[in-house]
Parts: sequence; structure tokens; C-alpha cells
Amino acid sequence: MIVTYGIVAAFFAVIVFILQRNIHKDRNFTDYAVGGRAYGARYQAMSFLNTWYPGSMFTAFGGMAAASGVISFYVLAYSMLTVVLMYFMAKPVWIWGKTFNLHTQPDLLALRFDSQHIRTIAGVIGIVSGIPWLVLGMQALGTLFQYLSLGTLQFSHAVIVGVAVIALRQIWTVRMGMHGVVISDFAQGIAAYIGGGLILVGLIVWMIVARGITFESLDPKMFALPGIGSKEGPLYLFSLMFTGAIGGWCWPYIFVRLFTANGVSSLKKSAALAIPLSLAFCAALLIFGMLASQVPGVAEKPNDVWFIVSQEAGGLWLLGLAGVVVLAASMGHTDGNIQATGAQIANDLVGNYWKLDHKQLIVIAKVGMLGLTALSAWLACLDLPALFSLGVLAYQGIIQLAVPQFLGLFWKRGNAYGAIGGMMSGFIVAVLLELQFPGYLPWAYGLTSGAVALVVNLAVYVAAAFFVPQSQADRARVDGLFATLDDERRALPAAAAASQPA
Amino acid sequence: MGRRLSARTPAWLMAWFVFDAVITLAPPLYWAMDGATYPILGIPAAVFYFLAVSTCTAASILAAYWVDVRSGEIEA
Repeated sequence: MIVTYGIVAAFFAVIVFILQRNIHKDRNFTDYAVGGRAYGARYQAMSFLNTWYPGSMFTAFGGMAAASGVISFYVLAYSMLTVVLMYFMAKPVWIWGKTFNLHTQPDLLALRFDSQHIRTIAGVIGIVSGIPWLVLGMQALGTLFQYLSLGTLQFSHAVIVGVAVIALRQIWTVRMGMHGVVISDFAQGIAAYIGGGLILVGLIVWMIVARGITFESLDPKMFALPGIGSKEGPLYLFSLMFTGAIGGWCWPYIFVRLFTANGVSSLKKSAALAIPLSLAFCAALLIFGMLASQVPGVAEKPNDVWFIVSQEAGGLWLLGLAGVVVLAASMGHTDGNIQATGAQIANDLVGNYWKLDHKQLIVIAKVGMLGLTALSAWLACLDLPALFSLGVLAYQGIIQLAVPQFLGLFWKRGNAYGAIGGMMSGFIVAVLLELQFPGYLPWAYGLTSGAVALVVNLAVYVAAAFFVPQSQADRARVDGLFATLDDERRALPAAAAASQPA
Repeated sequence: MGRRLSARTPAWLMAWFVFDAVITLAPPLYWAMDGATYPILGIPAAVFYFLAVSTCTAASILAAYWVDVRSGEIEA
């Protein structure tokens, strides 16, 4: 236990040292909320990955690969498609963000649809939907610390240790805002995805060479995918991949990555840097999980596959490093979630109705982050059996932001009525369907509740775009907004000159 | 909408992105891979399918970046 906890404690100390070395006073709310739009491609790439792949990748998806096999690869497929979306979104989101000093995803929707209320609605959906996942992330650390204790700690006590560690880590998130998140993401990302990827490759080689495990030795049911006549329905996998790809950008803590770059070039370059790393890491994890299903003990506890195989192959030292990898991934995701939510509380809820200066916005964001950390830490220590169901429900709900977000970026038609009406009706339909048919809808060929609700959402948005008359003034406003994108040749060099390369 | 997406994107690259979406999302393709264990390059077909479509998508992003740098749209 001294070895495993010692390795994790040493890594935690390194991260705190890096953060302490980089503390500086935020000049304004833009500094605090989006890191002054100052970060280059390498920081952006690692920050995206550290938010995209949480620590639960090693438990939930590693476990899914070990228990269910090739179906788990859907996460790899949609993780690639989501970077394609990033590539297209990079220009409009960054240019509007820079030109109009936007800080959050609801800021962008409010700008595009000229609506104060859409900022509140999108803000509330984002904040409420994120809480179950924040709590689940904290609880997942319980698995980590229980394993590292070598059975000394009960799970409930290990959860308290995990919550205490991640809550302690938030001191620097609250103090430093987005600068702290991006800087620590860089170090944590190297540990989690480069270090973790190397360990994964080593463990795959170990299983093949030392244990003789190959794809041929796996149970044929590990290669099953839900098709026609399957229990889930033929469109189940399509629904998971489609909503996964577009839904990723609906989470506020993922979306805000588009505002922290120092230019469109950095964003696009970060996509080119992140995608091979993402491909290599995720593919290695899923192949590892499938092969590890043959390692004794994994079939009984598939979610512990990462820890079981690490300890089996490399003893306590490798188990300690495996713990570092999971902690690094978890910290990146949790920090990003808490920072983005704090900024939203200040900017989209309080700041939407009261005129606040930069200093007041920062104070409210910090108070919001402290409150959110305390609330989620408290919830994580409770026994909440419906928490995972709430998380799934939240996902089906939050992807309803996709319609106004993507169509608003690429289509001049569309208005606040359609955006708000579509989002609200989609959210309500998703929640009602998910409560009635958890997981997937048998009568819709396996589509998830969120996918069906997206159709309703889209219908409302498009209907409003065509049937609600648009005033001349609003048409001119939207034309002006899109004209800023056509003018990017002039805007980009000026913006790049104004930003500091990271 | 199409004009804005493709203002400086070559047609072949747009076609590649569409191809990415089709091969990743089209249900008949993954239905065909249900239970497919025959090897392709030594990898079971069902696993190979996901690795191939993911690699194809990743390669399209690298190609897009290369095109953008070559055209001066973005800095290297």
C-alpha cells in the first residue's frame, strides 16, 4: 500500500508543483473563463483529450471491452467523428468567440439567436446535466483507491479518500480557473494517454507472449454486434455512435476548449495532433480489454480489468503507475467540468440578469465552483442507486443542444423560437422516453430516447425557421454575423497578433 | 449551409468526410460484421472494421490539415 499510494501521491505532488509554478493573477474574466484565449496547438490537443477521455474510460469502457467485446469499439468510432466536427466548428466558433468576447457555449447561442433567455436555458441544461457525471467521476475514484489499498480499505471508505483527493485538487482549479485547467491537462494528458498508452501496449504484448492470449482464444460471442433481430434493435449501435459524436460538443466543458485556443490555426492543428493519439490510445485500450477477458479474475469483475492485469503483469509498481494513469485522466475531466460550470454560473445565470464587472464575475465563478465541489463531494459519499440512470438521462437531454448549436453555426435560417422550442421539446421528449424505456426504444428499432427526441427537436427548429417570419433587422444582424466569418483573412492575423502563443 | 462548409474545402476532401460518416454510421456495414471472426490482416473482421473506419477518419483530418496548410488557410 505504501508503494501504490506513494506513487500516486508523488504524481499528485508533481501536478501541484506545476500549478504552483504557473500561478498568476487573472487580468479579467476572459483570462479566468477561457484562459485569455492564449493556448497553442499542443496545449489544446492535450486539453481536449484530457477532457474527452475521463478516468472511467479504463473502468467503464475497458470493462465493457472485457465483458461484451467488440461492441465497445463504438467509442473509438465516435471519438474520431467528433474530431471531424471539431475541425468544421473551429472557425466559426473561434472567430465569433474572439470577435464578440464569448466565454461559454450559452454565450454563443445567445449571440447567434439574439436571445437572453436561451443563455439561461442552455446554461441550466448544461449545469444540471453535468452534475451526475461529476458525482460518478468522483465515485469512480473509489475503485482506484480501493484497489491501490490492496483490499485494506472498504469501498465506502475508498470513495471518501477519492472524493477528498479530487476535492483537494480543486483548490488550484478554483484559484487559477482555465489557466490551471489547461496547464495541468498538458501534464496529466501526457501521463494518462501517452504513459497509459505505452502501458497498454506493454500489457497487450505481455498477454500475447507470456499468457498466450490472442483474438483466436476469445469466446465467439465477443465479436457480436446488435443487428437485425437482436434484443437491442438494429439501429442501437448507430444511435450510440451518432449521438456520441454530436453529443460530445454539447457538454460545456468540451465546447469551451474551442474558446481557449489562440487562433483557428491552433485549433485545427490541435485536431491533427490529437486524432492519431486518440486513435492509438483508444484502440489499444479496447484491444487490451478484449484480450484481458481471458485473464483470471477479469470475467468476475470486468470493470477492474485495468488494475487486475496491471498488478498481475507488473506487481505493485505497475499497479501504482496504473493508478497514476487513472487519476491523471480523472483529474482532467473533473477539473474541466467544475471550471466550466463555475464560469457558467457566473456568466450565464447570475451575469445574465445583473450587470457585473470582471472582478465580480470571477468571485461568483469561484464561489460557484466551491459550492459545486462541496455538493458533488457530498453526493458522491451517499448511496444513490439511481445515479447512473440519472447520468444516462442527462446525456439524452443535453444532446438536444446539438440542433441549435450545429445548425446555428452553419445555416443562416433558424431563430430563437425554433432554437428554444426545439431544445425544450427535445429535452422533454428525451426525458419522458428515457423514463419509460430506459436504454433504448424497442419500437424504434433500438434508437435511444435522445436520438428520437432529436428528430422532434429538429422538426421544431426547421418549422420555425420556415414559418416564423424574420424581420429585416434580424436578417441583417444574422448576415452581419456570418460576414465576420467571410472576413477571416483580415480577422485571423490581427487576432493571432493580439494573442500570446503558448 | 453547403457553401459555407465547403468554401475552401476541395470536393475530394468533402467526399472523404462524407465517406467517413457513411462507413462509420451505416447500419448495414456493421450488421455484416456481426460475429465476423475471419481474419483480415490477421485481425478478426469485426475488430478490423472498427479499426479501419477509425483510421480512415483520422487520416481525413490529417489530410484536411495538410490541405489547409498548403492553401495558406492556416499556419503550420
